[in-house]
Amino acid sequence: MMNEPVEKRYMPEVSRKEIDELKTTMKAASQKVMAENIERMKKADPKRPEAMKYFDEISNLFGKRQEEIAAEKAKGKKVIGYMCLFAPTELILAADAIPVRVNSGWYDTSKLGDRVVPVEVCPVIRSTIGAKMIELSPFMEQSDALISVLTCDGMTKLGEILSDYKTIWGMNVPRIKDSTQSLRFWNDEIKQMKNQIETFTGNKITRNKLKEAIELSHRATKAFRRLQELRKGSPVIMGRDAMLVNQTFLWDDKLRWTQKTEALCDELEKRAQRKDWVCSPDTPRVMITGTPMFWPDNWKLPTLVEESNPQGIIVADEQCSGERILNDPVGVDEWSMDDMLNAIGERYLMASTCPCFTSKDGNEDRINWLLNKVKDWKVQGVVYYVVRGCMLYAMEYTRVKKALDKINVPVYYLDTEYTREDVGQMKTRVEAFLEMLTARVDM
Amino acid sequence: MITVGMDLGTQRVKAVVLKDGAVASRGQALSSFDPTKAAEQAVEEALKAAGLKLSDVSYFAATGSAMDMAPYANGTVSMMGADAKAGVYLFPKARTIVDVGAEEARAVKCNEKGIMVDFVVNERCAAGAGAFIEAMARALEVKLEDLGQLALKAERASPINASCVIFGESDVVSLIHRQESKPEIARAVFDAMADRISSMVHRLGVNPDVVLVGGVAKDVGFIDSLNRKLGLTVSIPQYPDYAGALGAALTAASRAKGAQK
Repeated sequence: MMNEPVEKRYMPEVSRKEIDELKTTMKAASQKVMAENIERMKKADPKRPEAMKYFDEISNLFGKRQEEIAAEKAKGKKVIGYMCLFAPTELILAADAIPVRVNSGWYDTSKLGDRVVPVEVCPVIRSTIGAKMIELSPFMEQSDALISVLTCDGMTKLGEILSDYKTIWGMNVPRIKDSTQSLRFWNDEIKQMKNQIETFTGNKITRNKLKEAIELSHRATKAFRRLQELRKGSPVIMGRDAMLVNQTFLWDDKLRWTQKTEALCDELEKRAQRKDWVCSPDTPRVMITGTPMFWPDNWKLPTLVEESNPQGIIVADEQCSGERILNDPVGVDEWSMDDMLNAIGERYLMASTCPCFTSKDGNEDRINWLLNKVKDWKVQGVVYYVVRGCMLYAMEYTRVKKALDKINVPVYYLDTEYTREDVGQMKTRVEAFLEMLTARVDM
Repeated sequence: MITVGMDLGTQRVKAVVLKDGAVASRGQALSSFDPTKAAEQAVEEALKAAGLKLSDVSYFAATGSAMDMAPYANGTVSMMGADAKAGVYLFPKARTIVDVGAEEARAVKCNEKGIMVDFVVNERCAAGAGAFIEAMARALEVKLEDLGQLALKAERASPINASCVIFGESDVVSLIHRQESKPEIARAVFDAMADRISSMVHRLGVNPDVVLVGGVAKDVGFIDSLNRKLGLTVSIPQYPDYAGALGAALTAASRAKGAQK
């Protein structure tokens, strides 16, 4: 099970020399991008919270966190990677294993993915394939198995392609939520996954262990929600900072992340009391929705929005790389094993606003999430972010636009690629959009 | 009060001098490798034509893809914002402005004050912009300015499905191999372009008062195709390529007025 298959079904042969060379260059380039992103975030808020230092450090994909995981692995711990948010991380934690999300946010590696799949394929997928090809992602390399959830077409085939290297556990997600058999089916998938994880790690997921893991998740969600609550008022944190905090949860130690986020919130609450805003309270409030934006290269859009002239401030998002990670708690009634597993199943399926879902009312949950966010976070404009080849998000745009038109909130469809070449064109559009929002405020 | 608007486009820099709310003069220069210098030239030409000096100008506003490189600029305005201002100034009833330039096409929806309320930009592809016509004129060995007249002579349309300049060019080559006549191929080129632009306009919601501006608005072949695709007659100002600069000059005027108060 641990051995790589002898014959690769998808991946081309790449020489060790080429792997090493490409990895060295791309790693160096990525370190530069991460450092630059953080530099710009620091510059955007001269009084940036002390607590952000921790998240800056943990955001280094080649830094402290991967060293910690390596040390844990050396002591016999298993690492279980995943590509979609549907992977039930509580089960992984309860089996004393480490969950990490392994999607690639590197533009450079998407070109390598082109050796395996055509350019029409979503760049998140191409880039993740490319990163695996040259062993760029420490978390991917450290993963002993990957959970591949069959959501969009790209994710479905990505798992298959990565099976050339890794043990893959597929999870079949029903695309219609509101039928009784869907939840039953999905809950069976969850139970199956529990058995798989137990066998693989050799650790039994006991009632107590699972309760502990769920409680840890609860605490993390509470800390996250406290941070989001702070973003409802006049801005006390740049959107990019909050987004980085959100995203580091995907690979950080869950308890430590929670404590650091709590410390950040303490600082921000004091800042709110002092009315010490990060930018003028009149700054147009922007929400981002659409394709996930993985660190570090995809900080392109948030950086443009918050450094634009006129400036915008990101106060919310509806992305599986952002708020969706922690928005919903696992709702347990009785702490019996069965009840906990069903609650996990329900949380991962029913609370998801992934565009892979449809129903007699369409993907109503996503529309409701967006409308509620707009109302509660006083969002003045929405950027609908789509990378080329991201079909489901692209297709749902028209519906989202109609829903937002009804409440008179402008939305801009911004399409891009895994490339830095289009920053100039993107800037033109983002600036025009913010100019429009500013003009509406003045009207 | 004198204000100047500069539009630093991908091919040309245009300048408009506005005196007490009316256009006093225009100037332009090729962008080449130094848009800053080109803008200086365009402004100099325009001021000279109006008999004015740099020091007479209360406010300079810049727009266009190279607006950050503009000389003298007191401020900038987005290309879409400038389009909206100019469109409503030129045609007070206009609520949709379509701007087709060398490398980019956009459609802007605005209110009666010329404030944009929505916009769409062609999706990072030159097939809906002037560069496409240029490439196709080359493929047909026709002068760019003659392509439009040629298209008007076409008796029928041969559809091509241009998703980008490169594919468009190979589509045109297959039409040549099929021995289609030049007028028909020319019309196919404009139709393909107008198709892309009209779907952009439809995404914003059609509105009977559409203004067409930008360098391509001077091309009779394109105008004919766009009118047919949209099922209406678009309004075109006398100097469509100066719309961006005009919008910037109007923005400059309202900002200068705001500063005086």
